[in-house]
Amino acid sequence: MFIAIVPAWNEEKKIREVAEGLSNIVDEVVVVDDNSKDNTFFEAEKAGAKVLSHKINLGQGAALETGHEYARKIGADYVLHFDGDGQFCIEDILLALNYLKENNLDILLGSRFLDDRTNIPFIKKYFIFPVSKIINKFFTGLKLSDVHNGFRILNKNALNKIKIRQNKMAHATEIVSQIKKHKLNYDEFPVKVIYYETGQGVLGGIKIIKDLFLSKFY
Amino acid sequence: MIILFQIIFAIFTLYAMINVWQKSKQGFLGKKGKFFWVCFWFVAMLVVIWPNSVQKIADYLGIGRGSDLVVYSSIVIIFFVLFKLNIKIEGLKKDFTKIVRSESLKD
Repeated sequence: MFIAIVPAWNEEKKIREVAEGLSNIVDEVVVVDDNSKDNTFFEAEKAGAKVLSHKINLGQGAALETGHEYARKIGADYVLHFDGDGQFCIEDILLALNYLKENNLDILLGSRFLDDRTNIPFIKKYFIFPVSKIINKFFTGLKLSDVHNGFRILNKNALNKIKIRQNKMAHATEIVSQIKKHKLNYDEFPVKVIYYETGQGVLGGIKIIKDLFLSKFY
Repeated sequence: MIILFQIIFAIFTLYAMINVWQKSKQGFLGKKGKFFWVCFWFVAMLVVIWPNSVQKIADYLGIGRGSDLVVYSSIVIIFFVLFKLNIKIEGLKKDFTKIVRSESLKD
């Protein structure tokens, strides 16, 4: 069984389109509504998705782990992480899944830098991403071309081993460090990212570093 | 001669000790916590009223002045309390994440 986990927070404009698109590709679409203040919950339900609702806003990492728990409970074989804002392309999913299966990988990480389909904003391309790469290498020990890409496919082995404890955005780095810790087979795969907003800025990056630093003490 | 600061500080420590007593009565502080905070404020009061009393300990430890010993000890205690608070907050975060998650997974 192949399921898609879509963490969503205030995504009423896009979530229905995303969930409907995914439902043609995967066996079940699971939208984790992270206490949205808008109609995300109902829009996702209208699209036929299974909607898990957080009573308190916990963050994207926590929403993904809630999806993981659900996936483990129903015995999913493959799990897709897919953002709810429509920044990823449905066409990349089956190609990525086949690549993962053919190469016996445990986890496949999307990368916007492996082809030229993504139009990356200047500040992100030449300032935020190069710095993020260095920080990611420091915290995880793995060198990746795209450190904070929300497109991932996990097989059952990775799903059972990776437990996300970082509730907020630092989960992306945490997942990479768990890949190394559990010696999972991984690779990167080219995906297209469409920018509707710039996404996380410098302040977001500083929060991630703070969370990663503090997590070393607990 | 007792200076005004000593009187104010002594009154404050008495207030703090009464507060510790009340919190313990209301069930917010355990026996260990009550003992620690009563001792802490009592020692703080003694040090303020008889500042020279810490001089002997400072000399023994090789610290020049008694007041320096008080400052160094305070910094260590503050950092320790901050560390404990951070641990508590992280624990609470984990607890409510678990509760919110299990609620969302209920059919």
